[in-house]
Amino acid sequence: MSATSARPSPAPPTSGAAFIFKKALISAGVALVLFSLMIGVRTEAGPQGGLIYWTRFGDLAVLVATVFGGSIIVELLRQWWGPVDSDRFVPKPVQTAMAFAGRWLAPALLVFAFLIPVIFYNQRYILDLSILVLTYVMLGWGLNVVVGLAGLLDLGYVAFYAVGAYSYALLATNFGLSFWVCLPLAGILAAFWGVLLGFPVLRLRGDYLAIVTLAFGEIIRLVIINWQSLTGGPNGVSGIPRPTLFGIPLDNSDDGLAAKLGIDFSPTHRIIFLFYLILALALITNWVTIRLRRLPIGRAWEALREDEVACRALGINVTTTKLTAFATGAMFGGFAGAFFATRQGFISPESFTFQESALVLAIVVLGGMGSQLGVALAALTMIGGFELFRGLDQYRMLVFGMAMVLLMIWRPRGLIGHRAPTVFLERNQAISSDLVKEGHG
Amino acid sequence: MTAASTTPLLAVRGLRAAYGKIEALKGIDIEINAGEIVALIGANGAGKSTLMMTIFGKPRARAGRIEFDGHDITGVPTHEIARLRIAQSPEGRRIFPRMSVAENLQMGADATDCSEAERAAGLERVYALFPRLKERIAQRGGTLSGGEQQMLAIGRALMSRPRLLMLDEPSLGLAPLIARQIFDAIRTLNRQDGLTVLIVEQNANHALKLAHRGYVMVNGLITLAGTGAELLQRPEIRAAYLEGGRRG
Repeated sequence: MSATSARPSPAPPTSGAAFIFKKALISAGVALVLFSLMIGVRTEAGPQGGLIYWTRFGDLAVLVATVFGGSIIVELLRQWWGPVDSDRFVPKPVQTAMAFAGRWLAPALLVFAFLIPVIFYNQRYILDLSILVLTYVMLGWGLNVVVGLAGLLDLGYVAFYAVGAYSYALLATNFGLSFWVCLPLAGILAAFWGVLLGFPVLRLRGDYLAIVTLAFGEIIRLVIINWQSLTGGPNGVSGIPRPTLFGIPLDNSDDGLAAKLGIDFSPTHRIIFLFYLILALALITNWVTIRLRRLPIGRAWEALREDEVACRALGINVTTTKLTAFATGAMFGGFAGAFFATRQGFISPESFTFQESALVLAIVVLGGMGSQLGVALAALTMIGGFELFRGLDQYRMLVFGMAMVLLMIWRPRGLIGHRAPTVFLERNQAISSDLVKEGHG
Repeated sequence: MTAASTTPLLAVRGLRAAYGKIEALKGIDIEINAGEIVALIGANGAGKSTLMMTIFGKPRARAGRIEFDGHDITGVPTHEIARLRIAQSPEGRRIFPRMSVAENLQMGADATDCSEAERAAGLERVYALFPRLKERIAQRGGTLSGGEQQMLAIGRALMSRPRLLMLDEPSLGLAPLIARQIFDAIRTLNRQDGLTVLIVEQNANHALKLAHRGYVMVNGLITLAGTGAELLQRPEIRAAYLEGGRRG
C-alpha cells in the first residue's frame, strides 16, 4: 500500500547537532536584543528628578548564556520526547526504558497509592495532600467521561460537585441520614441535574456548549448563595457529620472504632479512613469508565466525539448518548462532592467557583483527552506540583505556568496522547509508530 | 429486477423537504425494488444527498410519504430507521479518525442489536470484500488512505447487515482506479448477496453503468428516470453529465 502522504522533499533538517546549535544561537541573539535594554540598562529617577541609568552587562551576559544553554536543552528534550511527527533520535536504551515505564507506571502508582497511609502515617500534611489529589483525580475521571470521551466541552462541571456536596450536607444535617445513604442520593441528584443541563444543550457544540455549561455552573452557585433559607447562603452549611465505618464512628468515644478494636485513639485514623474512602471512590469511577468504554454506549461516546454526523448516519441515538454522558459524568462529580462535604465538615459557595471547573478541565486536557492514566498523572502534577513549588514563593505561579506551557508544546495531546483500543483482536499486533500518526487521506 | 416482490422495498411519494425556507426537495417520487442498484445522479445542489438523508429521517420530510417494505417510515427517528436495517454511508466518508478500523466496524454493528455470531459473520464479509481492511485492522481510521477510508465507510455500513444500503458519493475524491474498485465491490455485493443499493453519484458514467435503474435530479425534482443503459444513451444526459465538459 502506498504511503499515506509524501513528505515535502527537501525540508531543512530538524535534528542533528548543527541544527540545535544554530537554533540556540538564534535564541541567544533574540534574547540579547530583547534584554539589552530591559536588563542591560537600568534606569531610575535620580535624586533631582532627572533620569539616571547604569549598565548591567554582567547580568545580561548571564541571561543570554542561560537562554543559549536552555535552548539546547529544550531542543534535545523536544527531539527525544517530542510530538509523534517530529524526527527524533532517541537512543535505544532510552526507548526501551520508556516503554517499560509506560507499562508499569499505572500498577506502580496504584500500589504506591495503597501504601501512602503506611509510609506517611505520621505526616498529616502528605496525607491531606494525597486526599486532595485523589479528589481531583476522581473529578478528573468524572469530567473525562463528558469531555474526554464524549467530546462535550463542559465548563460548569463544578455545578455537579456542588450539587453532590450540598445534597449530602443538607440531607445529613436536616434529616440525619448517614453518609452511606446520602452518597448514592448525591450521585443520583447530580446525575439528574446533569440530564437537566443536557436537554437544553443537545443541539449545541463547541464554543456554544462551553458558554452554556459555564453559565450553568454559575447559576447553580448563585442559587446556592441566594437561597438562604435552604442553603445558608454565603454562610454555607456547617456541622456536616463525619463519615462512619458503616455506623461505627471514628472518634474518641466509647463506641468509636478505636475503643472497639481496643487500640489507642488517634485522629489520624479518620484521615486514613478518608484516604481509603476517596481512593475507593476514585477507583470505582475508573473501573466503571473502563468498563463503559468497552460497551456500545462508551464506544458511542467516543464516536460522538469523533463525528456526530457519522453517528447519526450509523443510527446511533445521539440524544441518549449525550444525556448518558452528562449524567454519568455528573454522577461521579456528585460522589466527589459528597466526599468533599464529609471531609471538610463545612461547605460554602466559595468552594464551587469557576476556578474549580477550570482546574478540573485543565487536568483532563493536560492528561490527554480520554486517557485514564493521563488524567491521574495530570491531577498529581497540577495539585501536587503546585504544592511542590510552594517553596518558590512569589515565583510559584510563574514556574507553574511555564511548566504548563512547555507541556503543551511538547505534548499537545496531553501527557498520555494515545488511546487504547476497545475492540480487541484475536492476537495482539505490534503497530509501529509511523502507522499511528494522522494521515491526510 | 426481481419480479417476485410486488411492492418495492423503498417507495418515496411526493416527498418534500426544506432547510429553513429553502426547499430542497419539491415532490420526489422514486421506487427501489429489492435486489436493485438504483443510481441517483444530478448536479451539485440538486438535492441528491438531501433525498438520501430525508429517507434516513434527518432532515424531516415536510410532506409526502416514505415507505420501507410496506411500512410508513416518514417521521421515524433516524436511530429507529437504522434498526429497520437501512444503512447509510454518508458523503465524505466520515469515518472515526481516532478509532481503530476494528472499532469503526464495530460501531456499524452497535446500532443494530446483532448477536456475536452475526457480528463475526459481518466482519468476515467485510474482510472478504475489502481484504485491505483486514491488513489494517488495528490501525487508526485517520491513518488510512482515501480509498481505504471509503472501503471502511462502506464496510461500517455493511456491519449492520442492511437490507437497503445508501451510498453518498462513494467515488468522491478517489483516484479512478480506486473508484473502480469501490464500484466493483458494490456490484459484487449486489450480485452475491442480492443487496439493494441506492447510490448517489456525480460520476454519472460509472454510476449508470453499475446501476440497474437511474433517476436524474435537477433542482429538487426528478426529471428523468429509466434503466441505467437507457439513461446513458439519452443525449441530454450525455450533454449534461458525461460529455458536457469536453465538448462545451
